Amino acid sequence: MPIDKELLDILACPKCKGDIIYDQEKDGLICNACKLMYPIKDEIPVMLIDEAIRVE
Amino acid sequence: MRCLVSGVAGFIGSHLAERLVRDGQEVIGIDCFLDYYPREVKEENLAGLKKSPNFHFQEANLLELDLPALVQKTDFIFHLAAQAGVRASWGESFSIYTENNIRATQRLLESCKGQKVSKFILASSSSVYGDAEEMPTSENSAPKPVSPYGLSKLACEHLCYLYWKNHKIPYLALRYFTVYGPRQRPDMAFHKFLRSALHGKEIEIYGDGNQTRDFTYISDIINATVKSISTDAVAESVNLGGGSPATIWQVLNIIEEITGKRVRLRHIEEQKGDVRHTCADITKAQRILGYAPQVRLGEGLRKQFLWQKGGMLDAY
Repeated sequence: MPIDKELLDILACPKCKGDIIYDQEKDGLICNACKLMYPIKDEIPVMLIDEAIRVE
Repeated sequence: MRCLVSGVAGFIGSHLAERLVRDGQEVIGIDCFLDYYPREVKEENLAGLKKSPNFHFQEANLLELDLPALVQKTDFIFHLAAQAGVRASWGESFSIYTENNIRATQRLLESCKGQKVSKFILASSSSVYGDAEEMPTSENSAPKPVSPYGLSKLACEHLCYLYWKNHKIPYLALRYFTVYGPRQRPDMAFHKFLRSALHGKEIEIYGDGNQTRDFTYISDIINATVKSISTDAVAESVNLGGGSPATIWQVLNIIEEITGKRVRLRHIEEQKGDVRHTCADITKAQRILGYAPQVRLGEGLRKQFLWQKGGMLDAY
């Protein structure tokens, strides 16, 4: 698990404040409501809307 | 334009004043050299600035100075002077924080009454939030500081608000999230970690090391702070963070990579007043200051490391 579980449990989507899930394959945190993925770079999540990647 | 920077000899204050001078502003810098860390460190921070004809330094305490005379003809006040340190703010020491943070801010605001100050920019802190329930934490989260230091910073924000409400002194409170980079205070984590790593000494870790901080590089903080001059927004508190929370373990991994040395650790009990996690929601800063953090943790730590090694004097 490249991201700390405790941190994952408390992080939310900065856009909608809803839940995010960790996608191991894409190595990012996905908000299904906003269809955005927050990338994990060097094992650190980048929780910036501007740097989020659109996902289907 | 004329800018007043309090706490100008400090880590952030000296970088800010340098940038303002570089931008063509006239800067009056105030510092009283509080003894929280050695005076020589602060003198070193000021060394470059003192060569500039647009920089005027005054060694003085905000609690004693004739502030109305100083504030007269000042366009922007950057109030960065403060007693720093979360862990040192308990017990008898609290009076140092009420004096140097709360009362000094009140005196400075009081001196702005009837003057033509275009904006009063307060350096606030992520510590006003305490253990926030929302992560990333937006400015709408109820601030519940868990340290006397955090409480003193929140009180400063409230003072700004009441002077705005009653005396129309326009202000912005910038909530800085764990700032790092060259000139970082010697008591701050990265400075201590890198110093220990460089000298082959044990690094002290508070708690289990899984706590996270939203580390923010100094040049990102300075860019946003300077933009406070040009924004129309007033009477707002604004988060300035890096938007990328990292655990202490991740920081140590990066330090091992940068220094090429294996770090030795010593665990110390978690400190009262330390929060578990911080992560800034910077949506508001993006909107009103055009803020976008540029420097990632690895890159910023490397710059701080080079500075601590003595090979770098500039953060940019």
